Amino acid sequence: MTRTKPKVAFFDFACCEGCQLQVANMGELLLDVLGLIEVVEFREVMSEKGPEKIDVAVVEGSITDKHAIERIKKIRDRAKVLIAYGSCATIGGVNGMKNNFKLDDIRKEVYGDRFNYFDTVETKAVHQVVKVDYFVNGCPVYIPEFVKVLKAALQGIPYEVPDHAVCVECKLNENVCMYDRGVACMGPVTRAGCNSWCINNGNICYGCRGMVSNPNENGAMDIIKKYNIPMDMVINKMNMYNKCREIDKREQKKR
Amino acid sequence: MLYNLSQYVVLKKEDFNGFISDLVKEQKVVAPVAKGCGQFSFEEVKSGSEISIDYIPTILPPKKYFMPRDENIATYDLSNGEDMEPVVEYEKMLLFGVHTCDLAGIQCLNMVFSERPRDLNYLIRKNQITIIGYECNFYCDRFASCRLVHNHSPNGGYDLFFTDVGDRFMIHVNTNTGEELVAKSNLLRKAGEKDFEDLQRVREAKNREFAKNEIPIEHEKIPELFDRAYNSKVWEDLDKRCVACGNCTNVCPSCYCFNMIDEPNLDLKTGRRYRQWDSCQNESFAKVAGGESFRKERGARQRHRYYRKFKYPIAKFSRFFCTGCGRCSRTCMACINLKETLNSLIKEQGMENPEAGKV
Repeated sequence: MTRTKPKVAFFDFACCEGCQLQVANMGELLLDVLGLIEVVEFREVMSEKGPEKIDVAVVEGSITDKHAIERIKKIRDRAKVLIAYGSCATIGGVNGMKNNFKLDDIRKEVYGDRFNYFDTVETKAVHQVVKVDYFVNGCPVYIPEFVKVLKAALQGIPYEVPDHAVCVECKLNENVCMYDRGVACMGPVTRAGCNSWCINNGNICYGCRGMVSNPNENGAMDIIKKYNIPMDMVINKMNMYNKCREIDKREQKKR
Repeated sequence: MLYNLSQYVVLKKEDFNGFISDLVKEQKVVAPVAKGCGQFSFEEVKSGSEISIDYIPTILPPKKYFMPRDENIATYDLSNGEDMEPVVEYEKMLLFGVHTCDLAGIQCLNMVFSERPRDLNYLIRKNQITIIGYECNFYCDRFASCRLVHNHSPNGGYDLFFTDVGDRFMIHVNTNTGEELVAKSNLLRKAGEKDFEDLQRVREAKNREFAKNEIPIEHEKIPELFDRAYNSKVWEDLDKRCVACGNCTNVCPSCYCFNMIDEPNLDLKTGRRYRQWDSCQNESFAKVAGGESFRKERGARQRHRYYRKFKYPIAKFSRFFCTGCGRCSRTCMACINLKETLNSLIKEQGMENPEAGKV
C-alpha cells in the first residue's frame, strides 16, 4: 500500500530567507524529511509552483504591506495547516523595528520623493493577520525544532513552544552565565527551545524566540539594576526582535 | 570520634597525578574542572593535572550522571499494534572529588528512586558509578549552609573518601569497590598513628571553622519553622523578585522532577520515549488541561521549592533535601538567597537562636 505524501509548500514574506536556507542546508536529514513529504513549492531551491490545494504551508517572513496581507490570506485558504517559521513570521522579528517610527517617515527614508507609490503597513507577525497552527521560533530556526514541529504537524498533534526561559536549557548545558561574564543576555525572559544555541557558542541570547508568556518585569528590573545595565540598552535589545509583541498586548486588551 | 585505622590508606600528594592516571587506564573518570569566572563543572578527565581539586560546588551537581538530563526510557513501534521495548542506558565511570554536600544529594536521589515501584533505570546506572569523595576543610563561600543540615562532614555514600592532611591525603575505604581500587594501586600505603593524628588535627580545626549553624536555628526546629511559615510575607517578597528562570532547581542536587516525552522518528511509526529534567519553577509545570495552573504565582512556586527541601521530605524520608551546597543562591538571577530567606522566616516567627548548633 502506498500512501500519498503530504504536499508541502514554502513561502516567504519580509525576511532574509535565511530560515529557508537553514532548511535547504539541513544535510543528510533533508533526505529523510523528503522521504516523508512532497515539496511542491520552494522558491529558494526550485522553480515549480504548487497546486491550488496544499496540505502544509510553511511561511517565513513578516507582513509589512497590503499586498502581503492579501497574499498571506490566499495562502491560508489554500493550506490545511499553516506553520509560521523564523522570528519574522512568528514574532515579527527585526522588521518590527519599523513600528518604532511613523510609517510616512519610513517610506520617505526608503523611497525618497516617490514614497507615495509604495504602501506600507505596521509590521505584523503572521498570526496577527491569519490563523497559525504551528510556530517554529528563532532567527534562524533551530533545525531539530523545525523537524519536531514538522512531525507534529504531519501527525496532527499539537506542538507547544516551551514557555520557560532559555536559562533552563543554558543551565543544563552547564554554560557559565553571560551575566557572570559581564555581558547582558536576553536569556532570562526569552522562550527556550533552541537548546541555548547562541550561548553554547559563546554569544548572548538576543531574544529571537520571543518572550515567555508571563515575564516578571519587576524582577527583570532588579536584575538590570544588579548588573548595572543601562535601561535604554535593554529596551533596544528587547525591541530588536520583540517590538510586535505590543500588537499582541493591544489585541489582548480589546478582548 | 573513633577511627578504625585499618580502614584508612595514605596517598602522598606527589603521587596524586599517578593515582589518577592509573584510574583513567581502567575506566572513564569524571572530576571537577575549572570553567572560568570562578566556576567549575564535572567533566571527563584524562590526567590529574586537569582536575581543580580546590573547587566550589560545580554549576551542575553530579546528579547529571545519575539521572541524565535527557534519558531514553523506551522505544516504540506502532507498525503492528503498540510494541514497546524498555531501554536502560548506563556507563561504567568513576566520580572523583565529590564534596559531602553532593554525596548527600546522591543519597537523597537514591532514596527517591529506591521507593517502590523502583526506578530500575536509575538503580542500574547508579551501580555502575564508583564515587571518591573529597573533604572540604574550609567553607567554599558565603552561600553554603552545610553545617545547618549536617552535611559538612562525611556521612557515607562513597567508596573512597579523601581528606587533605597537609603533604598527603588520608583515604577512608568504605566499600568493597573501594577496597578493590586500593588493592590495584601500588601508590597507597597503610595509615599509621601519625596519619591518624594529622587527620584528627585537621578535623578539630574544621570543627572550629564550622563551629555553629550558618543560620540561627536548631536543626530539629526547622520543620516547626516551616509548619508556621506557610502564609508568610516572605513568599510575597520572593513573588516580586523571582523571574522563574528555573536555575535554582536545575542546579539543585536533590531536585529530581522530570517530564516524559514521546518523540516519533521521521517514519512517524517508530520512536522513543525519553525523560527530561523539569522544574516546578517553569510556567508550564503545574499547568493542566484547560489551561489552569496549580501554582500560577512565582511566589507559590518558590515556596513549593523550599517546602520540598525542608518540610515534605522530612515526613517522607526523615531527612532534609537541602544539602547546604548553596548552588541555588549562587546561581539565582534575582539574588534570592536561601540563607536570607531562612533568616527572614526565622525572624518573622521569632525563632532566632544565635548559638544554634554550637559545639
